Amino acid sequence: MKLNKNYIQTFIFILVYLFAIYFWSQPYQERKLPYGEYDAMSHFEVADYMAYNDKSFQKLPPYIDLRYGLDNKFKPHTLWYPPPFHTSLGIIEVIAGDRVIPIFLLNTIMSTFVIISVYFVVNSLFGFLPAILSALLIIFSPRDFMPYLWGQWPERFAYAFVPIILYCFYKYLINYSKEDKKPTYLYLTALFLGINLLVHPLVFFHSILGIAVLYVFLAIKKKKIIFNWKHSLIAAIIFLVIFLLFPYQTFNVFSSLVGPSSDTEGKKSIDLLRLFQWSLNPSDYAGSVPPSYFSFREMHGLWTLPFLLIGIIFLVLRREERDVFLIAWLVSLYIALHRDIFGITFFLHRSLSATAHIFAPLTAIGAVYLANAVKLPSNYNKYLKYMIAAVFVYLALSINMASASKMLNKNTYNDFFGTLNQEEYEAAQWVLENVPQSVNVTVLGIPYQSNVLSVTSKKIRWFAAVSQHVTRFYYYLENKEEVLKSKEWYVMLDYTMLPALKDVETFNNMQKFESEALANHTLAYNKNNIRVYKLAK
Amino acid sequence: MVFLLITVLITLVFSYILFGVTGIRVVLGVIFISSPFYLMLNNFELTEGEKFVFSILFGLTLFSALVYLLGLVISFRIAIIATFLVFIIAAFLIRKYKPKKQS
Repeated sequence: MKLNKNYIQTFIFILVYLFAIYFWSQPYQERKLPYGEYDAMSHFEVADYMAYNDKSFQKLPPYIDLRYGLDNKFKPHTLWYPPPFHTSLGIIEVIAGDRVIPIFLLNTIMSTFVIISVYFVVNSLFGFLPAILSALLIIFSPRDFMPYLWGQWPERFAYAFVPIILYCFYKYLINYSKEDKKPTYLYLTALFLGINLLVHPLVFFHSILGIAVLYVFLAIKKKKIIFNWKHSLIAAIIFLVIFLLFPYQTFNVFSSLVGPSSDTEGKKSIDLLRLFQWSLNPSDYAGSVPPSYFSFREMHGLWTLPFLLIGIIFLVLRREERDVFLIAWLVSLYIALHRDIFGITFFLHRSLSATAHIFAPLTAIGAVYLANAVKLPSNYNKYLKYMIAAVFVYLALSINMASASKMLNKNTYNDFFGTLNQEEYEAAQWVLENVPQSVNVTVLGIPYQSNVLSVTSKKIRWFAAVSQHVTRFYYYLENKEEVLKSKEWYVMLDYTMLPALKDVETFNNMQKFESEALANHTLAYNKNNIRVYKLAK
Repeated sequence: MVFLLITVLITLVFSYILFGVTGIRVVLGVIFISSPFYLMLNNFELTEGEKFVFSILFGLTLFSALVYLLGLVISFRIAIIATFLVFIIAAFLIRKYKPKKQS
């Protein structure tokens, strides 16, 4: 009977998780075209290059190097992230036999993996109901899906490791006193910690803080310092082996930390009043992150606040070992979010995106255990618990899902100016297959005026990502005449956007350019209102 | 086993409805790169949930780490197959040589 119950619970979670995949994958379900900000392009480029060219690489190809050549301060012009994350995307591209959907779908799976991690950990420690309610809340967490949409892909996946690392460390600590010590969990902690660093260094920092706070809190709780030389030495060796797998990238973490920061966050003044706030000041991030990102109401729904507070109070009062686990996780994130007090300011707002991972379980626990606050006869407490859970689900769907659907839907990034259309994607694919790798492409027809340039630049960059060639606006070339005389440059005329813009002037100018400036060129591609010319021999 | 097959089948059908054959191949790909680690973890005293979650995380990171390194010297596609074989062999070696716990 118990087995059946476990199956049913797992089955329910699988349905919830599949819904998460459906919900998060909406932007590419119908269009099947790549989308996202510059970060998304870079991750796509690295993964796709390996899969398409059937080789790993250390030195960046020119179209990636143009923007990311100096991002690795320790070893410039090489990968700036450790490669496992992108290699996974590349492997799936190879196995699935397609360039766009596999990369984007696996990224969705990895970005939503924190839902699996949180469910697994909360289910193991607190049972099914808090776990499934936590999972449901995280699906609709904008602080999770907004960075995912913007392109902070490895970071999203890296956060899935935090609960797992803390869980393994917790299991080691609580089993230590028992006759049958289980160092396996410490070794797993070290292994996951090393992997966490390979996926994203910022989140590794979160995990380290979590481990430190959990260790101290459990030591106080158990009134005992737990330390074993042999276990610790083996764990350290495991971590070091993983750490040294990709030295160019892992040592870049330190180079980035000690090097001069161009991040404007570093220049902010320190406000001690922030110790009494969870979130950050939206005005400090104006222009880069929307103000709603810093609002509890917008990100979690105000209805979750009472449950969250009840959850925290309940755990602090009860203080069982598993309660200490969640409190330590919460406190470690608080410290991570207030590291600016100690002068560590970089990527502060990105740490905020981990909030739902701990707020959701606390909120769910607050809701579930609220039923125990009053003593009722017979099974009424149980019925009350399920009633509160039903209200919880209703509010999550009617408020959080409704709000999330406005930001994440099938039209997200269906951007005329910034995202490649089908015709442009096909032309980029043609360039990839037919144009020598050393050749660059310059483009006319995509609007370049200052009022749209910040958006249309993304289209140019996506064209570079898909075509695997350096691609630039013709208008912004410094050496136009030389380019037109060079065999190392192809010229692309993109007429696909002009009809919608009713831009007759640009159309006429491009026609004139074709007949005059490209008189010595040969038409190499002519399809779907896109033409590509190369210099005649 | 029946339960596992049912859940995999549901996931495959779901993936097919959303993304066609490509969706199915993505799911099978994730299973492919995770399965050696499940076999490895099966040799340790871990719960089913732990083995399942940990093996996917290892598959998405350790498997690809080795593929990347091998892919620097051999074809990326061959590196995927070679990595799978290396980890499968490792799983069987752990099974064979890991000391059995005395009951």
